[in-house]
This record gives sequence, C-alpha cells and structure tokens, in this order.
Amino acid sequence: MSTGNELARVAAAETGTGKPEDAVAPETLALIDTYLRDHPGGTERLIPVLHRVQEELGYLPFPVIKAIAERLGISPIQAYGVVSFYHFFTTTPRGRYQLKVCMGTACFVRNANSVLESVHETIGLEVGGVTKDRLFSLEQVRCLGACGLAPAMMVNNEVYGYLTRAGVRKLLQGLRAKARTPHPGGEGGNG
Amino acid sequence: MGEIAPAAAPLDRTALAELRLRLAENLRARAGEPATGAPRELLVCAGGACISCHSLAVADELESALAASGRAGRVRVVRVGCMGLCEAGPLVVVSPDGVYYQKVDREGARRIVAEHLGAGQVVRELELAWDAPDGRRLAGREVPFFAQQVKIALRNCGVIDPAAIEEYVARDGYLALEKSLFELSADDVIADIKSSGLRGRGGAGFPSGMKWQFVREAPGDEKFVVCNGDEGDPGAFMDRSLLEGDPHSIIEGMAIAGRVTGASRGFVYVRAEYPLAIERLGNALAAARRAGLLGEDILGSGFGFDIEIRIGAGAFVCGEETALLRSIEGKRGTPQPRPPFPAQHGLWGKPTLINNVETWASVAPILLRGPKWFAAIGTGRSKGTKVFALAGAIRNTGLVEVPMGISLRTIVEEIGGGIPNGRSFKAAQSGGPSGGCIPAAAADVAIDYESLQELGSIMGSGGLIILDDRTCMVELARFFLEFLVEESCGKCPPCRIGTRVMLNLLERITKGEAVPADLDTLEALGRHIQHTSLCDLGQTAPNAVLSTLRHFRAEYDAHVLEGRCPAGQCKALLTYTIVAEACSGCALCAKACPSGGITGEIKHLHVIDQELCIHCGACLSVCPTDAVDAV
Ligand SMILES: Cc1cc2nc3c(=O)[nH]c(=O)nc-3n(C[C@H](O)[C@H](O)[C@H](O)COP(=O)(O)O)c2cc1C
Ligand code: SF4
Ligand code: SF4
Ligand code: FES
Ligand code: FES
Repeated sequence: MSTGNELARVAAAETGTGKPEDAVAPETLALIDTYLRDHPGGTERLIPVLHRVQEELGYLPFPVIKAIAERLGISPIQAYGVVSFYHFFTTTPRGRYQLKVCMGTACFVRNANSVLESVHETIGLEVGGVTKDRLFSLEQVRCLGACGLAPAMMVNNEVYGYLTRAGVRKLLQGLRAKARTPHPGGEGGNG
Repeated sequence: MGEIAPAAAPLDRTALAELRLRLAENLRARAGEPATGAPRELLVCAGGACISCHSLAVADELESALAASGRAGRVRVVRVGCMGLCEAGPLVVVSPDGVYYQKVDREGARRIVAEHLGAGQVVRELELAWDAPDGRRLAGREVPFFAQQVKIALRNCGVIDPAAIEEYVARDGYLALEKSLFELSADDVIADIKSSGLRGRGGAGFPSGMKWQFVREAPGDEKFVVCNGDEGDPGAFMDRSLLEGDPHSIIEGMAIAGRVTGASRGFVYVRAEYPLAIERLGNALAAARRAGLLGEDILGSGFGFDIEIRIGAGAFVCGEETALLRSIEGKRGTPQPRPPFPAQHGLWGKPTLINNVETWASVAPILLRGPKWFAAIGTGRSKGTKVFALAGAIRNTGLVEVPMGISLRTIVEEIGGGIPNGRSFKAAQSGGPSGGCIPAAAADVAIDYESLQELGSIMGSGGLIILDDRTCMVELARFFLEFLVEESCGKCPPCRIGTRVMLNLLERITKGEAVPADLDTLEALGRHIQHTSLCDLGQTAPNAVLSTLRHFRAEYDAHVLEGRCPAGQCKALLTYTIVAEACSGCALCAKACPSGGITGEIKHLHVIDQELCIHCGACLSVCPTDAVDAV
C-alpha cells in the first residue's frame, strides 16, 4: 500500500513554499466546495468527496488531496493514508482508454492470464502502467459480473468477453487506429 | 432504465392495497405463477451481464418493431433484472406465454415481434430449450436450470422492473413492513426471524434473529442498520444482481430492522465497481421516499427511517464488518478486535446491526409467509435457500437460488448443465479467497454451512466456481494467495508476512523449484496464520492452500517430486513440442516465440529448440492447427 517515497512527496507538498492551492484548478476547488456544502457533515465525507473528484479528474493529484484535507480539518498525511489504502483511488493520471482486465476467479480459470499477456505483447503495458501517449492504461479488477463471458475485460465502460489473444490484439489495434483518425467529440474516456 | 415510478405523492395503506390488486395478476404471470387476464409483455433482461451483451439495444429494437407493427400501445417492453441464465443472454421472455428466447440480437428482436406476436409462432431457433435424455423437449421454465431452483431472495429478480416501485409493491412489497408497523410487536418480529432459522448469508452464517435481538437490547439512544454490499469475493455477483434487480427488497428488510431495533438511519455500503447497482439503489431510495415508505412517520405509524448509500473504494478487507464500519466513518478500513461486536459498539461507537444483502432480501418473505414455511426448506441447522453465482468450467454460468441441502452434483450436472468441452468435473471452489475446494468425490454431500466446513471449505457469500481437469490446484491456491497478499491490511504480522511467505513457497512449487519439506512448511505456516491473525481475512487466508493440500496432495507431490503439472497449467513445468503430422508450416509460432527458439521453413515442419524455450506458451496459443503439444 503506501510507500515511504510517496509519503515523502506528500510531506514535501505540505512543507513546500508555493501555496499548494495554486496548483489546483479553480473549477476543482469549486467542485470540492460545492460538494461539501451540499453534503453537510464531518470527516466521514472524505471518501465520498474523493470519489466525486476522481470521477471528474480521473485521478487524485497531491495538491487536490491536500486541499480536501484542509477543508475537512484533517492532516494531508491522514487523507493520503486513506487514498493509498483503497485500490480504487489513483494518484496518477489514467489513459484515454482505461483497460481493466478481469482477474476474478471465473476469468482466472478461463485463462485471463493470456489476456494480460496479450495486452503486454501488443502495447507493452504492465498492470498499473500508462502508455507514453496516454492513450491506454492498464489495471486488473476483480469480477466484472460478466463471468459467463469469461475471460472479460472492460475498456472504459464497455465490457468485452470471450477474449482470445488474437481478439485482444485486434481490439487494441482498432482503438489505436481510431484514435489516430480525427473524430468529432470523444468516446467517453474520462482520463 | 424504464420510467421512474409515477408515485410522486405519498401512498397510504389503501393505495398500496389497490396497487397490489391492480397489478398482481400481471406480475404473477411474469413469474410463471398461475394467473388470468395478464397482458402481453416482453421482458428484456437488463442485468449487468446481459447489458454487456447489448440487451438494451435489443429492448429498443423490440420497441421500434412494436411501433412499426402498430402494437406500441398494447404490448409493453419491460426491462427487468438478471434472470439468472447469464450465459444465454441477452434473454427475452414473452409473457404470459412463458416463452424464453436466448442470445437475442436486433434481428432476433424483429423476428420475435413478427413471428411470435405477429404470426403466433414461437421462433424455434431462438427458443431456450433442452432435449432431455429421455427424448422430451423441455422449454423455458421447464429446463432444469430453472426447474430445480427455489426463489426467495431472488423472488423478484428478472420479474419486476427495478425502477418501478409499484411493481415491487404489487409483488406484496412493503406488506411485511406494514405488518411490522401495525400488526406485530418488535419481539414478534424477532421471534419470527429466530424461529425461521435464517443465518447470515455474508459468509459466517451467524443466526440473524439473535443478532437483531442483541442490537434491540443494546443500550443506546442512537442505533444504526447497515447493509453489507461490498461483495469482495472476486468471482461472485449475487449481491450485485440483487441490488440491481430488486433494490426495494433490501430497503424493506432494513426498514423492518430499523423499526425493530429502534434505529432511524441506515447505510448501504456498495462497492465502487458496481455503478449500475449504485444507480438503481439510489433511484429506488428516492422512489421509496416519494412514496412515503422511507422518511419521517412512515405510513402514519410514527416510525421514521431513512437510508444513505456509501460507496466502497476497492479493498477486500472492507467486507469485514468492523473494517466496513470504519470505512463508512471515512477512515482506512482496518479491522478492529471483536468483542466489542458491532451490535454493541458499531458505527461511531453506537449499536449497529449489519447484515449481508441477501440476508436483508430474505426478511420480508419470512414475515409474510411465516417462519415455519422458511424453516421447512433446508437441512437441520441450515434453513431456507442460498444464492450462488455459478461460474468457471460450467455450461450454464449464472445466478441460481437453491434449497440448502442440495448436492453439488445436482448443481453442477442438472442446474449447471455439466462441464463443457468434453472435460471432466474436478472440484468446486466455494467461499472465494476465504474458502476452499470441494473435490468431485464429495459431490453428493448435502450442501450446508456445517458440511462445507467439514470438507475444509465454507459456504461463503455464494461464489461457486466449477473447475475441470485442466485446472491446476496448486496454481489455483497461488491465485488466491496472491489476491490475499495484495488485500491484507497489514495490521498483523502473521497475515501480512505469513501470506507472503506462503505465496513465495507456492510460486516455487509452480516453477518446479520446491523441495519436499516446503509442503510441510506450507502446512505448518498455514495453521499458524489461522490461529494468530486478528480478523477472519488472516484466519481464513490459508484455507485455499490447506484444502487443496488435503484433497489434492498427489498434485502437489507431482510438482515437487516429479517436476510435473498433471493439469498442464504450470507453464514452467511443461515441455513444448511440435507434432509433425499436425504442423502446416505457417511459421506463426516462430514469429510469436520471444526467445527465437522455433525454426523451420515456410510450409515445412517447425521445431522447438528445448535449450532456448522459456516455457512461455506463446506457440501453443498462436498455432492455428493445434500442432503444439505441452506435457
Ligand atoms: C475478509 C472478509 C471479507 C468479507 N466480505 C464480506 C462481503 O463482501 N459481504 C458480506 O456480506 N460479508 C462479508 N464478510 C462478513 C462480514 O464480516 C459479516 O459477517 C457480514 O456482513 C454479516 O452479515 P450476515 O450476518 O448477514 O452474513 C467478510 C468477512 C471478512 C473477514
Ligand atoms: S488478519 Fe490480516 S487483514 Fe485482518 S487485521 Fe490482521 S493484517 Fe489486517
Ligand atoms: S504455428 Fe503450428 S502449424 Fe504453424 S508452424 Fe508453428 S507448429 Fe506449425
Ligand atoms: S470473474 Fe471475471 S467477470 Fe466474473
Ligand atoms: S444478466 Fe441477464 S440473465 Fe443474468
């Protein structure tokens, strides 16, 4: 879970000279303030407000964690301790296509390893990684509730099932090609 | 998700009774119960798995086909929760005919409207049917998958539109709450729950009535009711399907408990990975508030109760009750020593009643149909039914509710439809990471809390993964240990360090680097962790290893003594060769081999250099003619 290194970074952010609030976009601060105003209460609001902000930004940068901690009257370390405890929260930006490979038991017994391997072979990602162009990020999750389709993977909010090595390769190559051709609007990646 | 219930104004008891009268026949027909005069409806499964297979597009297509054929006002499309047979999704049911259609796509949708509704002919190619060994053709609810089930917790899943509160009400919804408010005393309710024999469905199987009584009797001006919807077992989706398919059944159960224990606030803790469950539960809570079934002075009884949702954030240990309560308080979810139990010292130090989703969903039927009815189902000490998420090497992946005491064989062979691909049944894994494996040899044991424990597993929350002969039990144990190492909260050294050491040992075994003494170390270490960890995560962490060691010792020995993986799954122990007769010389394997260990000319036999082979298995997975052999 939390490593010494990361804690050192939080500590640095805390004692650093520049006001960390400067590093947080005004819209983000407004989002936090609105949420806390609409949901009166105490420190039990930490996890809900983290959820709300991550939903918007796709991740939780340190200055944002600090801004939230200040408003709840707890220390940044304490808030960071909560962020690092829960796998769902991430302090690094995710890719435009967030790949979530299911490593639940049903997928595991139907060879989910080969899905991870194929992702690695095709775009060179390890679990937790993001491609340099920030097009893809890779996570493993536990049971998407689509065990009948095992092995399964989620790309943003879409579930893909019955995956084979070749199927994964084609899917990723297709997404990459799609990203290269200009398109109106986006496809819903929030990273 | 369909229209939100129009019940904008609070309902009173008369209005509830009228709703039940008006819609009852219709809903009975949908559930396959005898009914008269029910209208034609098309039920489309809008459960998570079916949605992944685009069932919502199928529902839209049905609606446009109905409109195009002039039936728009007469035949309604209803989006219901998981019907259970997720493997065959998207499912569509024509009610009241009771005809099930499987794997329906847009074209299928048009055919159902044109042929079934238009010409009055069942679309045979799409019909869910099964040819029994005796030559009979069984269709729809007659197929063993449905026929062998007994639905209590899942009574409304796949029957009602979860977004329509009036449909829940029509299934005698909120009638048990009325009973607990106006007819029964708090002690009567507790007596009923007790004598029904209901035990917690979240894993430990603690008698629910006793827990309710503890909270009722605990001194305190403020109390809480909590629903555990964290569903941490990484191969299970029972609670998710219930929250998505019948959220009001959980709300009703919790409101009854609030009235009985004297709590006025409840929390449902749902994992963040279940956005649809969160959305549907949120809508159901709002509908219940509008209808006056939550909030102050419910139905004029003077009793007030409301429920909030708390979203988890991805930590398995937060399914443990004391960790979950800390998480609701906004803290790191680390378990606390018990006693004190949550019943005395729970949320913010107040008496707290925590039950699992399925436990909550079982409450209302017990009060309505009586504890005797419930207790008549099941075995000596395990009453009622249990929902299982059936998955893995099984034909009918899905959600099933079966009476306690059923045999594993019935679940696998009849309900599950057997093992696909000509493989054989090896074992079933129950209880997720805290559970263990039940070998095929014990397939006839009557399943209940006690028998599973004797076999070295647990009932758990209902994950049931079927394994065939290609699953290596050592590798499976490694999989669970890896999960637990990641999920240990790190508070106690035996759990934090011990599971890590066990994982290292298992990795050595699957790589063929272990010595015989390692197996004894594994066993001794496992017992030590069981006895010295603080919470059940640590105490049950060694189960996967110990139960596979107990039932599949020979498989461990083959790895350690002979450097062989009998299931052919541990890649490091396999020798890859190319079968000359089968090789077409396509060279795909040579391209795929990361160590450059495969040579050969195009259109000629290829050969693997054993010195260079790193046992990655890439050739095996790319070969189009299955010419690569691994033993
Ligand atoms: C590591 C761990 C994980 C657990 N996960 C869950 C879970 O996901 N869902 C659940 O209902 N209970 C879970 N439990 C059991 C709870 O601690 C508790 O027994 C249960 O919520 C009580 O409800 P019940 O009596 O209705 O089963 C877990 C326990 C442990 C030790
Ligand atoms: S047994 Fe493991 S998970 Fe439970 S409190 Fe101890 S370290 Fe944490
Ligand atoms: S992939 Fe299969 S068929 Fe093709 S060369 Fe290799 S062994 Fe032969
Ligand atoms: S285990 Fe992968 S979807 Fe359930
Ligand atoms: S989600 Fe449709 S049958 Fe389970």
